[in-house]
Amino acid sequence: MRLIGIEATSPGGDGQWWARKRLFAEAAVIALALAVLIAPTSALLSTRVSAARQPLEKIRIAQQFGLVYAPLSIARELEIFEKHGLQVEWRQLGSGAAINEALIAGQVDVGFMGIPPFLIGWDKGVPWKVAVGFGEVPIMLITYRKDIKSLTDFTSKDRIALPSPGSVQHLLLGMAARRELGNAKALDSLLVAMAHPDGMAALLARRGITAHFTTPPYAFELLSQPGFHAVLTDRQAFGGRFSFNVGVVTKQFHDSRPQAYRQFVAALTEAMNWLETHKKEAAPLLAPEFNLSVEKTYAYLTWPGVHYTVEVRGLMKFARFMYENGFIRNMPASLDDLVWENARALVPPGEE
Amino acid sequence: MRLINEARTRLALMARSWGQNLLRTHLARQVAWLMAVAAGWEALARASVYPPILFPRLSDVLATLVTEMRTGEILARTGWSLGTICTGVALAVAISIAAAGIALGIRPLRPLVDALLNVLHPLPGIAVLPIFLLWFGTGAPAVLAVVVFSCIWPMVQNLLAGLEAVPRTQIEVGRNLGLRRARLILFVLIPASLPYALAGLRLAWARGWQTAVAGEMVFGAGGGDGGLGWFIYKRRFFLEIPAVFAGMLMIIIIGILVEHVVFGTLERLTVRRWGMSRAE
Repeated sequence: MRLIGIEATSPGGDGQWWARKRLFAEAAVIALALAVLIAPTSALLSTRVSAARQPLEKIRIAQQFGLVYAPLSIARELEIFEKHGLQVEWRQLGSGAAINEALIAGQVDVGFMGIPPFLIGWDKGVPWKVAVGFGEVPIMLITYRKDIKSLTDFTSKDRIALPSPGSVQHLLLGMAARRELGNAKALDSLLVAMAHPDGMAALLARRGITAHFTTPPYAFELLSQPGFHAVLTDRQAFGGRFSFNVGVVTKQFHDSRPQAYRQFVAALTEAMNWLETHKKEAAPLLAPEFNLSVEKTYAYLTWPGVHYTVEVRGLMKFARFMYENGFIRNMPASLDDLVWENARALVPPGEE
Repeated sequence: MRLINEARTRLALMARSWGQNLLRTHLARQVAWLMAVAAGWEALARASVYPPILFPRLSDVLATLVTEMRTGEILARTGWSLGTICTGVALAVAISIAAAGIALGIRPLRPLVDALLNVLHPLPGIAVLPIFLLWFGTGAPAVLAVVVFSCIWPMVQNLLAGLEAVPRTQIEVGRNLGLRRARLILFVLIPASLPYALAGLRLAWARGWQTAVAGEMVFGAGGGDGGLGWFIYKRRFFLEIPAVFAGMLMIIIIGILVEHVVFGTLERLTVRRWGMSRAE
């Protein structure tokens, strides 16, 4: 206020006018900057509106590489999605977190993720549910250290590598730690986040990390080395079977394109069932993509504990554990909170 | 009397221009711009055109920052990061002084230091992280090593440039005053090259900070001993996006504090007091 007083009594009228004009200029520049910030929004809106119906339904699917994703490769090889009237736009994404973010931002229609990351999103209010199960694979905590036979043998100097905080591996470790050490987060201070290949390389070099919580084919490779053994398996940690990944579909896609949604579920079910029953035929189709020999691919496909199935297992059990141990803040009232109507039938009795 | 009158008018003029310029000073303008951007952010988030989970409100971010400070986690992580960076910068300074001393003291080794500088300076610290992980093991030691690596080169370069920029006349005056080796270095060379050294320290700090955070995010150090990078990384996977932004705000706050308080004070106490820098 004092400033204005000084301005008003000052004789320099021209200066004041000039100052006001400059103030306007500055305001205009700021407004322009804001407009630039907001402009992409309207662009985003217009692309959403223009997604019109077409003879071949378009669907955007996020994928990663690995044996777990074999059903998608099979569907591509055998053109199963096209057979069901779908035209798939594949989105290659680097990490689970990137897939979640792409789904939330509406950049993909379907993504595959572990049950814990799905529940973390659900807990935060992301409008998505499970459409299908996406296979089961063995997951193992592997070490080269002979003196480590159970979780109680880890000390504060040891490091455990797993793909990321909040991953299936992290929660399985939490479940086992809860049972054996009394606290689900007892080993959290030992965690190192590493992608599967990096973790495998570090464990093989015996530098930095003590143990690696990983999936096939990395787990198989590690266990084939002399002296490497599993401290913990997914079955021991979870106490039963569960879906390693689930196919997650956003409410936006489910509600606005029911036809494409049904076609997607049917196509994926067909691909999954074909792979489970034709592993011999599938191995040569998959071997080049995984850069493995046909024999090795076949061995991995038929490994004990590998199931290619759309059945959904373990959702509520994960949710209860995560809720009771502070990983999520809300507890789903029932399975219907977590799965779309078709997937209710995919949950075997007693394996919620 | 005339002098006093003149002083009075000048004072009055200064006061008036100070008043008029308060809103037009550079700092005030920067703050105004930041407020505009903040308001734009809040408005855009409230319009919820983008999914709120990916684009949280600024007010939520600030509230999260306060909560995280209260529970202490963000402060513990900040402390860990600062510890790493301070250790790294201190080690880098020691190594750089040794390197600069060798380069200037032992003539035949000068090309070696220059060659290392030319070859390794352009290499970002984060790019050597995979190798350091194999050499030093995952976690704190590797992150510290990359921080040291990324801090050394700007320091060495600035030390050398500073020492070489000391005018011959100043050295000759020192010699004429009877200063020999140690005292010549202490009383002439070091003070005269200090502006360069400070600039190098600034660069080293900035690079160290960036490298530490990036290193922790790319190879996520470890839950027990992780800094702000690990904090941001972890929260991202739990979709706690306001906390991710809070971590970024913390980095900004530390950056501003160090730039203006630590380096500002250092400069005021040395080069500006000695009249070597005209920087305002």
